[in-house]
Amino acid sequence: MTPLDWIVMAITIVAIPAFGLWKGRGSNTVNQYLLAGKTMPWYAMGLSIMATQASAITFIATTGQAYVDGMRFVQFYFGLPIAMVILSATAVPIFHKSGVYTAYEYLEKRFDAKTRALAAVVFLIQRGMAVGLSIYAPAIVMSVIFGWPDRVTTLIIGIICVVYTTKGGIPAVTWTDVLQMTIIFSGLILGLVTVVSLMPRGVSFTDAVYLAGAVGKLNAVDLKFDPNNRYNLWSGLIGGSFLALGYFGCDQSQVQRYLTGKSVAQSRLSLLFNATAKVPMQFFILFVGAMVFVFYLFIQPPMLFEKNAMKTVAALPGYQAAQSRFDAAWNRRTTAAQALNAARKQEAARPLSAALAEYRAAQTELDAARKNGIELYENSQNKGVLNPVKFNDTNYIFLSFVTKYFPVGFVGLVIAVIFTAAMSSSSGELNSLAAVSVMDIYRRHFRAGATDRHYLLVSRLFTAMWGVWAVVFAQYAKYLGSLVEAVNQVGSFFYPVLLGVFVLAFFFRRVRGSAAFWAMLAGECAIVGCAVFTRIAFLWYNVIGALVVVAFGLLFSIGKKRAPAAE
Amino acid sequence: MKLSSQITHDIHDSEPPPILGTWARVNIAVLCWLAFLILLAWAFTEYFSA
Repeated sequence: MTPLDWIVMAITIVAIPAFGLWKGRGSNTVNQYLLAGKTMPWYAMGLSIMATQASAITFIATTGQAYVDGMRFVQFYFGLPIAMVILSATAVPIFHKSGVYTAYEYLEKRFDAKTRALAAVVFLIQRGMAVGLSIYAPAIVMSVIFGWPDRVTTLIIGIICVVYTTKGGIPAVTWTDVLQMTIIFSGLILGLVTVVSLMPRGVSFTDAVYLAGAVGKLNAVDLKFDPNNRYNLWSGLIGGSFLALGYFGCDQSQVQRYLTGKSVAQSRLSLLFNATAKVPMQFFILFVGAMVFVFYLFIQPPMLFEKNAMKTVAALPGYQAAQSRFDAAWNRRTTAAQALNAARKQEAARPLSAALAEYRAAQTELDAARKNGIELYENSQNKGVLNPVKFNDTNYIFLSFVTKYFPVGFVGLVIAVIFTAAMSSSSGELNSLAAVSVMDIYRRHFRAGATDRHYLLVSRLFTAMWGVWAVVFAQYAKYLGSLVEAVNQVGSFFYPVLLGVFVLAFFFRRVRGSAAFWAMLAGECAIVGCAVFTRIAFLWYNVIGALVVVAFGLLFSIGKKRAPAAE
Repeated sequence: MKLSSQITHDIHDSEPPPILGTWARVNIAVLCWLAFLILLAWAFTEYFSA
């Protein structure tokens, strides 16, 4: 990076939290600190919800995923608008009316203390692991890009995030998120404009789109139903809806955002804003990745995008052969892409179908050559290891492109976007972890009836404590190996149970506390059973787990009378 | 002191949306938008994968 990039990056990273702290000044009560005094407008909540969900990895991995696998990942988000509509009609008015600080507080009003405690503990376990990873994952990518130790990048993200979250509470978090999302949107638009402008002469935007589509990189919708296929229209619509219902309706890191609303209407609008904006946004991010793929049709990419892995491979005996194969395959694909582009414009004698077949065959050969390089690296790393690790450099593709080819100054801005995205998702998680720790555990089970000032102090302490935990977890996450992948999917192990119990609470008045509690445990057993004994794609756990909780809740309530309405 | 009592904000459950008159209409509009996006993405896939 040039000095100008460093200056842009430093100013952006410091200015955003400073703005949040300024907006969050005066958080002197628990209500202000955890709920912003219920004064937030819909657009601030809406952008904050988006920022909390979209971690840094969303931006760097999603673009890389389009490069490798095409745009089919967009289907993962098709269920989100459905969930948002359901939640804005049900959860939002119910949570607002009940005057709760956390979603789990409502469960005690509706069921009993043990159901609330179980839900709070489930949340703390799941979110407690995720908060460390949301710092660790971008930090490790940054460490490779900059060549810094990962401890340094972890600490930079962690310390800034902990300081402004602890000091300013949810108002600082929300307003910081607003600015971060604005910069993230700008960075993405800049990314697309830059990648298209870097295309070689003779390759227009429509040519680039055609070349990406010809090898399946624009495969946004797959209509074929297959429960073992992770991303298709049906898993996205059904599994994605259940996952989004669980995440936005039962995860305190999201519920807390819309509890800060001025009114039910403002909170509803914040969710519906996400419902309309999220799918186009993800489509756009993936499209940028597909355009990066086209860029690398004409400029040779490295065989592996992760610099350290590439250095390791370069020192191995089989490297020369693997690199020669990759070079030859890339040259063949470039020639084929140029021939296809010419044939499409009817400037070449070769028929379009033959040029298309050659281009696709060349792409298959290049994929095989890259896979060969990946296997070379994996074999060198997994010698004598009982649990071999799969190498994946998807996270490095976009950042590798940015640092090499973006104009001076813009590189710093995009790197700052990644840092701020990491901070926005982590800060929201820290604030919600503190809220649940204080309201559902500390105040409920250890010290009820203390002063507001005491709970404010304890809230700040819990925020700082969870921040320290997140940084420490991130420092040691690299030793977890493949467990990191498991933790990434951990949401689908816990959200269904939370979703199921909230469905029972909202819609089945006959179900009482004990039935709900045991139904949650039954649902968790069903999910673990699916994970261990079946090959069902994890998105479907959300459907199965929630349905099992509801079914068992009803089963355990046979013969019981309807409960009185919750406050 | 009971903290929940501090949340004194008026809840306007019946507050109408800024557009379309009722929340039901807004919800239907959002779902129609989703259907349109899926249709567009499907057409995009079909057109460019040829």
